[in-house]
Amino acid sequence: MTKNIVALLLAGGVGSRLNILARHRAKPAIVFAGTFRIIDFTLSNIANCGIEVVGVLTQYKPLSLMEHIDHGRPWDLFGRTRLVEILPPKTGEAGSDWYKGTSDAVYQNIDFLEDYAPSTVLIVSGDHIYNMDYQSVIAQHHANNADVTVCLVRVPLDQAHQFGLATIGRRNRIRSWIEKPPVPENNLASMGVYVFNASVLKKALLRTAKRKGTDFARDIIPILIRRKQVFGYVFDGYWRDVGTLDAYWRANMDIIVPGSGLKLRTWNVKTNNHVKGKIGDSPSAYIDKQAHIVNSLISKGCVIKGSVENSILSPGVHIARGARIINSIIFHDAHIADNCRIDKCIIDKNACIEQATSIGEGSPARNRRYPKHMTQGITIIGKRARIKKNLRIGKHCIITPDAVVEKNCRSGTTV
Amino acid sequence: MTNVLALVLAGGHVEELLCLTERRAKSALPVFGIYRIIDFVLSNLMHAGIEKVGILSQYRPHDLVSHIDTGEHWDYVGRQREIRILPPYRGLHRADWYRGTADAVYQNIAFIEECQADHVLIASADHVYRMDYRPLLQFHIDHKADATVCFTPQKVQSKRFGYGIIEHDRLVGYIEKPDTPPSKMISMTLYAFKRSFLLEILKTNAGESSHEFGKDILPYIVKHSSVAAYQYRGYWAYARTIDSYYRTNMDLLEEKINIVDWQIRTNLIERSKKKDRLPAYINGLARNSVISDGCIIEGSVINSILSPGVHVAPGGQLLDCIIFHDTCIGKNSKLQKVICDKDAVIGDDVSIGHDGEQVPSRKFKGLLASGISVIGRTVQVPHNTSIGANTVVYPGVRISDPMIKAGETLR
Repeated sequence: MTKNIVALLLAGGVGSRLNILARHRAKPAIVFAGTFRIIDFTLSNIANCGIEVVGVLTQYKPLSLMEHIDHGRPWDLFGRTRLVEILPPKTGEAGSDWYKGTSDAVYQNIDFLEDYAPSTVLIVSGDHIYNMDYQSVIAQHHANNADVTVCLVRVPLDQAHQFGLATIGRRNRIRSWIEKPPVPENNLASMGVYVFNASVLKKALLRTAKRKGTDFARDIIPILIRRKQVFGYVFDGYWRDVGTLDAYWRANMDIIVPGSGLKLRTWNVKTNNHVKGKIGDSPSAYIDKQAHIVNSLISKGCVIKGSVENSILSPGVHIARGARIINSIIFHDAHIADNCRIDKCIIDKNACIEQATSIGEGSPARNRRYPKHMTQGITIIGKRARIKKNLRIGKHCIITPDAVVEKNCRSGTTV
Repeated sequence: MTNVLALVLAGGHVEELLCLTERRAKSALPVFGIYRIIDFVLSNLMHAGIEKVGILSQYRPHDLVSHIDTGEHWDYVGRQREIRILPPYRGLHRADWYRGTADAVYQNIAFIEECQADHVLIASADHVYRMDYRPLLQFHIDHKADATVCFTPQKVQSKRFGYGIIEHDRLVGYIEKPDTPPSKMISMTLYAFKRSFLLEILKTNAGESSHEFGKDILPYIVKHSSVAAYQYRGYWAYARTIDSYYRTNMDLLEEKINIVDWQIRTNLIERSKKKDRLPAYINGLARNSVISDGCIIEGSVINSILSPGVHVAPGGQLLDCIIFHDTCIGKNSKLQKVICDKDAVIGDDVSIGHDGEQVPSRKFKGLLASGISVIGRTVQVPHNTSIGANTVVYPGVRISDPMIKAGETLR
């Protein structure tokens, strides 16, 4: 049943609105929930519904992603006929080049599809957080005799302008489609998940490439809606696009906020537990005699001597005595020294905050360089950045990777 | 260290660990939350650059075989690098369970003969330590010894060890489990042998009636060959009894071990799990404790070591406990000095280990007297049950009595 389905996972996103988090890694490789990566959610969805052939289309900073996927082994997609193939851009053939868009990326790998000759192709974007059984979409697709089925989800109306929006009619047939309208009239958004009949997909890709089209949502779906049987599948579970820093922070917090709808413990998410660059495995977290922990996720290898509230800590984070961490997300191996106060911060790997520095206090002034990237008061500290002792860093600050900060930063500063 | 073959003795069954080793080899016993005891010797071998390892297992090897997997977790996969599990087998003329440590090695003599190694390192899998084997092997080579036996000084004297008498790096006397120890130097059950000498001595011993390295081989070769003694003074701990297993775990909380510096590898893949565990969720009190991924702490955890997936409900209290994977502690239940095996379910308002610390176990008199209670794998303790100290509840027992006195064994 699953042999004639091939899944393509689009993992090439630059994620520029995630700012410095995406500077060293592709967006799908960004850490989520302490020990997972964003791509784990879609890759686990694919593996859990029994699809056995997966192509992962990568382009932007693919190395940490490729290492993480590790030939599909953590998802049991490893064998002679069970596989994850990494499909980077290639040169030397007609039409081959850097991927110019979502449909162009698939078009350039049309030979991968031809090799496996599936009857149905599942195309999934790799940057969303959700738990979904794609088999029920595929079942509806076949029941409707559909050419294309587009997965849709209701989003808050004030965010609808970020998405492709559809209206649906009888039996969920898609009636209209509008891509990222400035003033949205409805909130049924495309999840970036499509089920295609392989022959329809192939013809559409060839035609679109001829017309210099490069994007599913802009160049393929609107045309197919007029000519083919295109249906919607309405998903009613938790689904989040984590393409902005605000949304990324909020979705992480949803794990520890009761009633958020994100019940991660009930999802079957798999990840690759192997950490590169370490000889030994991380021991379990150690909680010291004077630690104080409220409503937080603490990963292996953490050493907690201070206070941690409503926060998510990746493996190997050290929180020294007297330090207080509130509403923050801290990535692997970051060190927070004695008596620091960290509020609403995203701190990237191996960053180091020296004694008695405070981050996230002050006026809510927007970041002057990227005023739209953060609106909720979040400050972000880049990979390996070092903040010297006794400093005050405000809200909406961006400390770029490897920066050494030696003086106070008012809210909205970029270093 | 390409000219060294390592053999790991992982077979032994021990009664002294009561129900903890009823269904698993001692070397597969969880320690410090996420490790198994065998991880320490395997990590030592990996760090020493020894490329070929044979593991001799006999008793309940299933847990061990799945833990060792392909050896990839210690980087033992490749053309030259391998971990081979060597279970007993039926030969053409002989089908025998291993009749002792030396017999286990003797039965795999073909494996040893095949190897190109000049020396064979034999290590027990049952100890917790982080030792660099390279200086030991260099010492063995420099002394041109037929065999080198490793010793470590111990303050506490016990009848459970082999003791050596050492003069100027030479082993001049060896006694296994004596009533009155002749020295403070106890055998770590870690030996380096010249391969040719090992083969010869095993063939000699095969004709005898008893086949133990400690009891038979060492006393014999001390008299007849050139045996060196290597003294190791780093941390070395054992888990031969419930008391010593408990102590060894607690050494981590007392900072006698720097586990990060040790760089220990383990097998992180849990094949029985369809998903990976989340980080530990803590919304309660945790003090001086080791808490693994997947734990949910809503009550309080003090001076305790928790393996992955332990759930402590609101009001639940763990004091000085060691809890294995996926065990649940119910609301307002209070456990003190309890070792609780995997997948146990402790109901609400249960009390374990609070009364009768001085009442030794009636069934295991010399073994369980320091106030520790042991709850077996998958045991379900009903709500409102009260269990005294020094008790053992074996797997499969259905508890119906709401009051279990100190020193009882339920089997």
